[in-house]
Amino acid sequence: MMDPSNINNFEEQWRKALKEASEAPPPSVWEGIEARLDGEQEKVTPLWWQSPKMWYAAASIAALLLVGGGLWYSGGQKDKVEVAVSTKPVQKAETEPAKSVEEQPNAVQGQDKEELAATVEQGPIAATGSEPTRSDLKGGIAGNSNTGIAAAARTNARGKQNEQHADNISSAASIIQERPASNNQDVIASKTEPANGTVEVSVENSNAAVAAVQNQATSAEMLASLPYNDLDVYVQKRHVFFRPEVRIEEPVKTTKPKEYYAGIGIMPASFNPNVKLREAPQAFMAQSVSQKRSVSGTSEARASYAVQTQGGVRLSKHWSVETGVSYLRGNSAYEGGGYVLNAYNSAASNVLENALAANNPALSDKAAGFNNGALYIDVAKKVSNNYQYLQLPVQAGFTLNPDKKFSYSVLGGMMANFFLVNELESASGDIIRTTASDEIYRGTNWAATTGLRLNYKLSANWGANLTGSYQKAVSSSFKSNQSLDSRPYLYGVSWSVRYSF
Amino acid sequence: MTFNEQELVKGCKQRNRIAQKQLYDVFGGKLFAICMRYTKNRADAEDVLQDAFIKIYENIDSFRADSPLEYWLRSVVVNTALNHLRQQKYLKELDDIDIHHNGLSDREFTLGNFQMQQLMEMIRELPPGCQTIFNLYAIEGYQHNEIAQMLGISEGTSKSQYSRARMLLQQKLNKEKRFDDGSVQHKQF
Repeated sequence: MMDPSNINNFEEQWRKALKEASEAPPPSVWEGIEARLDGEQEKVTPLWWQSPKMWYAAASIAALLLVGGGLWYSGGQKDKVEVAVSTKPVQKAETEPAKSVEEQPNAVQGQDKEELAATVEQGPIAATGSEPTRSDLKGGIAGNSNTGIAAAARTNARGKQNEQHADNISSAASIIQERPASNNQDVIASKTEPANGTVEVSVENSNAAVAAVQNQATSAEMLASLPYNDLDVYVQKRHVFFRPEVRIEEPVKTTKPKEYYAGIGIMPASFNPNVKLREAPQAFMAQSVSQKRSVSGTSEARASYAVQTQGGVRLSKHWSVETGVSYLRGNSAYEGGGYVLNAYNSAASNVLENALAANNPALSDKAAGFNNGALYIDVAKKVSNNYQYLQLPVQAGFTLNPDKKFSYSVLGGMMANFFLVNELESASGDIIRTTASDEIYRGTNWAATTGLRLNYKLSANWGANLTGSYQKAVSSSFKSNQSLDSRPYLYGVSWSVRYSF
Repeated sequence: MTFNEQELVKGCKQRNRIAQKQLYDVFGGKLFAICMRYTKNRADAEDVLQDAFIKIYENIDSFRADSPLEYWLRSVVVNTALNHLRQQKYLKELDDIDIHHNGLSDREFTLGNFQMQQLMEMIRELPPGCQTIFNLYAIEGYQHNEIAQMLGISEGTSKSQYSRARMLLQQKLNKEKRFDDGSVQHKQF
C-alpha cells in the first residue's frame, strides 16, 4: 500500500512507476552496436585516399601506363601487321555470325562460333568436293587455291550484299595468288586455328589485312613467318595504389663558417706603467729633510711589443670568442722626485726599498738617525722601468660583414696579466730585477681590453688581421702594501695571420 | 552532470570504445526500458536500442553539457523509437476516437501493487498509436500539441488516442483486480 501522500493522478502514477524503469538489455545488443561501430571505422578511408590530388596522381599514372603500354604494344607489333589489324574486329565477330547464319541457308542454325567459322572455311572445301573434318581443314585449304578461299569466304560470310567487300577480298586474293602455294598454306592454315569465330573475322578483315600487306610489299618469307593466334581479351583492372613519398624539405644547409681559428702575431705597442706615489705626500710633508714640498712622478711610455698567439671559436655568424697567450715586453721610463719610505710603518720593507736604500747608504743612515725611520728615496731622474708580462686575454668579438673578403670585428674582454719580471734601472745605473716572487708586484693583474680588428681573407683558410688594441689595468700592479700604485695601459697595433679550420 | 558523466561524454567524443561501453552500461538499462515501452516485442526494442546508441555515439558532439545527459539520451531513444514506429507504419493510421472520459478519480488511483513488468506489458498491449501517445504524454511528459507536432497528427487525435489508451489501461488494471480500493468506475461507460 502506498503512502496516501503519494496518491496522485493517473499520469503521475504511471510516470513514477515507469520513468525510472530499467531492464538489462541482452549482450547481443552491445555486440551489435560494437560491430556497427567497427564497421563504420573500417569504412573510414585514409585521408590520402580521399585527397583529390592523390586521385589525380593515380589517374595520371594510370594514363601514362595505358599510353606507355599502348605504345609498347603497338611498337612490338609493327612487324605483325596482320595480327594488329585482325584483332580490331574481334567485337564485331560476335555479332557477325548471326548475320552470316541468316544469309547462309546452308549454315547450321545454332552452331557456336567455332562451328560457324568452320562453316565459313568449309565453303571452298565443299567446292572441291571433299568433306574434311576440322583437323583436315588445313590440308584441305592448303590444297585449294587462294582465290577459291577468298571467293568462298566472300560468298559465305557476307553474301552478295557487300560487293565492295568482295572486291577487296578479290584483290586480296589476287595478291595472295602471287605467293607460292606452300607459304600460303601456312598462312591460311594458321587462320583456321583460332576459336571464337575469328576465322570469319580474319576473312572479313582481309581487305584491311591485304592493304597492310600491300604497303609492306610482303614477300613470301615474311608472310610465312606471320602465323598468329587471337588471344582471349581479358580486361585487366589495375588498382594503382599510390602513396606519395613525403619529402620533408630540409632547410638548406648554409656552409657553416669555420668554427675555429688560430693565429699568431706581433704587436708594436706603447706601454705605460702609469706609476704613481700612493702615500708619499703626507709622509713627505712631515719630514723636514727634504727641500721638496711635494713629490711627483711620471711614467713615460717607450717602444714596447707583444708576441701574441690566439685561438678562437666562431659561435655564430657574427659572434666569436677568442683567447690566447701573449708575451708583453712593456718598456717605459719613470721620472720623479723620489718618495719617502717609512721604516717604521707596518709595511714590511721590500727588496726594492732595500735596494734603493742600499744604494744610498748615507741617506739610509741619516734617515735612521733623525728621520724617525723614514727614508726619502730620491729618484728624480729618468730611469727605465721595463715590465714583462704573460698575458691571457679572453675577448668576445662581433664581426661586421662576415664571410667577405674584408670584415671588421669589434673586440672587448678582459685580460689576465701574469707578472714575470720588472727591470728597473736604479739611480746609480744598476739594474734592479724584480720578479713575482719578490712580493712587490701582484702575480696577476687584471686589465680590460678592447679593440678594432680588420680582417682580410687571404684564402679559404688563411687570413690576415690588423688589430688596434687598448688595454687598461683595472687593478694596481703593485701589491696593496706598497706605497706605489701602477695601473698600466697600452696602445698597440697588432699584425697577425690566422688559420681557420 | 556529474564528473563521471563528463568523463564519459569526453571519452565518447573521442570515440573511445571503453567510454562508449561505460555509457552503455550506465544508461543501457533505462534506455532499454524505454525501448520496451515503445515497441511491441523485445526484438524490436533491441533494434531500437541499438540504433539509438549508434545515433548517440555519432551525435555525442552535439550534446551540450548544460542539459542533463540522461535527458538527452532519453530524447534520442524516444526519437529513434518513433522513427522505428513510423517505419513499421504503426503511426500511420491514427484517427480520432470518440471516447468519453471514464471519470476515474485520480486521487484514488495507485499502481503501488503492480510490478513494473506488468505495467510495461499492459502498455505494450495497447494499440500502437495509443501506446506511443500514452508513452509520450503520461511517461515522457510531452503536451498534446507537442505530440501532435512530433507525430504529424492533430492535437485532437493525440488527446483522443490518449483517452483511449487510458481507458484500455484502466480496463487492464481492473482485470488484474489489484486495485487497493473499489473506486474504479470503468463500468460507467
